[in-house]
Amino acid sequence: MNIEQTLQTAEKILAPWNKDTLRPESNRMDMVVQTDELRAATNALHDAHWGYLSAITGLDLGVESGQLEALYHFCSGPVVVSLRVRVPRENTYLPSIADILPPATFFERELSETLGFKIEGLDESDRLFIPDDWPSDVYPLRSDFAVEQAAPVSGSRIDEIPEQGMLTGNTFVIPIGPQHPALKEPGHFQFTVDGEIVTGAKMRLGYAHRGIEKAAESRSWYQNLYLFERVCGICSHTHAMAYCMGVEKLAQVEAPPRAHAIRELVAGLERIHSHLLWLGVAAHEAGFDTLFMYSWRDRETVMNLLEQVTGNRVNYSANVLGGVKCEVGPEQAAKIKEGLDYLETRIRHYLEVVTTDAMFLNRTRGIGTITAAEAEKFGLLGPTARASGLMRDIRIEAPYGAYVRYPVSLVTRTNGDLEARCEVRLEELLVSCFAIRAILDNMPEGPLTARMPRKIPAGETIARVEAPRGELLYFIKSNGGETPARIHVRTPSLCNWVSVLEKAVGRQLADVPMLIAGMDPCFSCNDRVVTVLRTDKKEAWSWKQLREYGIEYYRR
Amino acid sequence: MNTLASFFTILIYPAGLTLVLLGMFYEWLDRKLVARFQNRVGPRWFQPFADAVKLLAKEQIRPGIVNPYLFFGLPVAALAGASTAALYVPLLGFAPPSSFSGDLIVTLYLLSLPTMCVGLAGWNTTSRFSVIGATRSLTQLFAYEAPFLLALLGPALVAGSWQISEVNEFAQTHWLILTQPVGFLVALIGLMGKLELPPFDAPEAETEIVAGALTEYSGRGLMMFKLGKSIELVVGLTLVSAFYLGGLTGIGSFLIKSIALLVLMAVMQTLFTRFRIDQTVGLWWRFGAIVVLMQIVAIILWKGYMP
Repeated sequence: MNIEQTLQTAEKILAPWNKDTLRPESNRMDMVVQTDELRAATNALHDAHWGYLSAITGLDLGVESGQLEALYHFCSGPVVVSLRVRVPRENTYLPSIADILPPATFFERELSETLGFKIEGLDESDRLFIPDDWPSDVYPLRSDFAVEQAAPVSGSRIDEIPEQGMLTGNTFVIPIGPQHPALKEPGHFQFTVDGEIVTGAKMRLGYAHRGIEKAAESRSWYQNLYLFERVCGICSHTHAMAYCMGVEKLAQVEAPPRAHAIRELVAGLERIHSHLLWLGVAAHEAGFDTLFMYSWRDRETVMNLLEQVTGNRVNYSANVLGGVKCEVGPEQAAKIKEGLDYLETRIRHYLEVVTTDAMFLNRTRGIGTITAAEAEKFGLLGPTARASGLMRDIRIEAPYGAYVRYPVSLVTRTNGDLEARCEVRLEELLVSCFAIRAILDNMPEGPLTARMPRKIPAGETIARVEAPRGELLYFIKSNGGETPARIHVRTPSLCNWVSVLEKAVGRQLADVPMLIAGMDPCFSCNDRVVTVLRTDKKEAWSWKQLREYGIEYYRR
Repeated sequence: MNTLASFFTILIYPAGLTLVLLGMFYEWLDRKLVARFQNRVGPRWFQPFADAVKLLAKEQIRPGIVNPYLFFGLPVAALAGASTAALYVPLLGFAPPSSFSGDLIVTLYLLSLPTMCVGLAGWNTTSRFSVIGATRSLTQLFAYEAPFLLALLGPALVAGSWQISEVNEFAQTHWLILTQPVGFLVALIGLMGKLELPPFDAPEAETEIVAGALTEYSGRGLMMFKLGKSIELVVGLTLVSAFYLGGLTGIGSFLIKSIALLVLMAVMQTLFTRFRIDQTVGLWWRFGAIVVLMQIVAIILWKGYMP
């Protein structure tokens, strides 16, 4: 089915509720839907099995207009259909669609916490993203938000959290995080256990919110590149790439083919680094430290390659708006190929280990099985979805940049357990190695950058790229100025959480770290909305004060 | 025994200084070997000693709701249990300073004492991680204890004595690893379970329950538990090598045989993935206990019909 047909199908399904159709881009269709008809429209799409809910973007249309808008992005292949719902500022009620589409839970909570949508039927007893001492009725992403409003309030939620020990009988709450040896990143889980069996699961994010989406609105298009690169340390390149692609689309500038090729090359290397890192973490969670040590040793090879190409080991900073800033010459190409030779043998070896080592299989085979139907229901993305037999890979469904010229093949498994997730990730690396070789052998000649305007024409666009963890979606809105009007980032980890919480229940406590690791969670992906810098004294610190404190601290 | 000799026995050899130093040396060797197998550098030779000094110098923090007597007493009991067990084994290949008929059973009970203390300590501190860790420690104790005992009973039955020194003498002329390979393997793996070494480290699986039962321990208490474990390692290695590897006749044979065992254990620690607690219990009762029981039955039948 081509793009036009897919769009028409969606239009036909949604016809009864459609108030107005817009076609902002060739692969997108926006439909205005009324608040009380949102559920019916969602149901229709769901019943017709048309695509999946990829993200919900909240927009503040400004104080003058007196309206907020929520965009429900449904994706099917390269096609994005957005249901646009407008609500007045004084009455921001929206119906919840989480019972129809479970992944919407997290999106809706983000909407309610950051923009103040009142979602009917949403459990808001505790906060997921913003701090516990954040004042209520202050919404950081509203256009009339001022920093002074965000002074921390005491005595509210933060002090109420009881020291939950024994609940009833033999039931315990095991807290994992925000500081815990199993989590190198800040998240908080509460697993209720009965002996060794998990009977309930809850989570809390937002311990390292940096307010990137808000910060983006006050920085220029160029400055934002550096900001979005720092959303995540592991997949920084894909974030910058998605941002650049979106802005280039808005500015109607096409990056040169050589730039696209180098972008895919770095993305490929980044995937190798990310998945090897994941393999180590997963092995460590399972208590197989030898595999952990070896896979991280080999990961150094790809880190060195990335440093060779971009000059940096972590935030590669390979992208600029309109192209890339690093060149891959014949000397570097030879080094990369040499490194890939070694990596490929190692990856093959690890593939053998995860599929044949009986002790490791004890901990992975048949554990946390997600069937294809469940994966569809939870809205899984990336390798986690592919391990359950879902064909979800933006590089293949909607090839972007150089993926048209240097395609990658799809790797899927059908058993959906932890073993399958290990296999999918490792096999993907072999595919990536293959693609990198193809790029190096047929690198297009030409310039590295195209000229970008300083002001980006008004408009909205959606950029989707396949990050190592799954589909990454950037919604970018410009008012024609030097700074963006709104940038919304939906990271893959956010979509995969639902599956962990659902699957942990009924399992052994010992399997829980493996289940969490199984989806390769990235906390920095989740934590980017807003924060207040504070100390024990509960006061907001300015950047200057914080800097002085840091200098003073290390002088001692 | 005069007073001076008693003091020597308690403070220098075999308890006291010798035991502590041996424990530290074996702990270092184990860590170093595993590190090298895992492609790491590993600790320097004085690391366990430095750890002990550091922990002794540190403040011991007591959680508010614990029973203080138990909290401070349990590490001492654990260390004392492990050290006392050393009195009955041919440490360094010399005859044990104390020996009586049936001391094998006493030694095995004393060797279980550290684990019991860890379990109680976890229960006493009431931290959620500690309680889960303690439950797992004790569950594991019930899993490996019987097979481990049966595995050491094999040589004792063949030697016709329940006295460790006599079994040691008997073993010097009979390499029992050749006639009772199953018992040897069960004893070795049982020792790993006893010491909560990987793959039997579920009780202190850091990715789930931080440090298990000892999560709340710091300073002196933690150091005594750790030291008790190191001493348990030495005593356990001595027992298994004396029973199965042709007995211990002197320092040379002690070092060679026990270090050979330690290398074997380090290899297994490197190769295997941690068992879940249910898998550990399953392994011991569905497999370990049954094979070793079959061997015991075979030995009894053999003794009965071929005197």
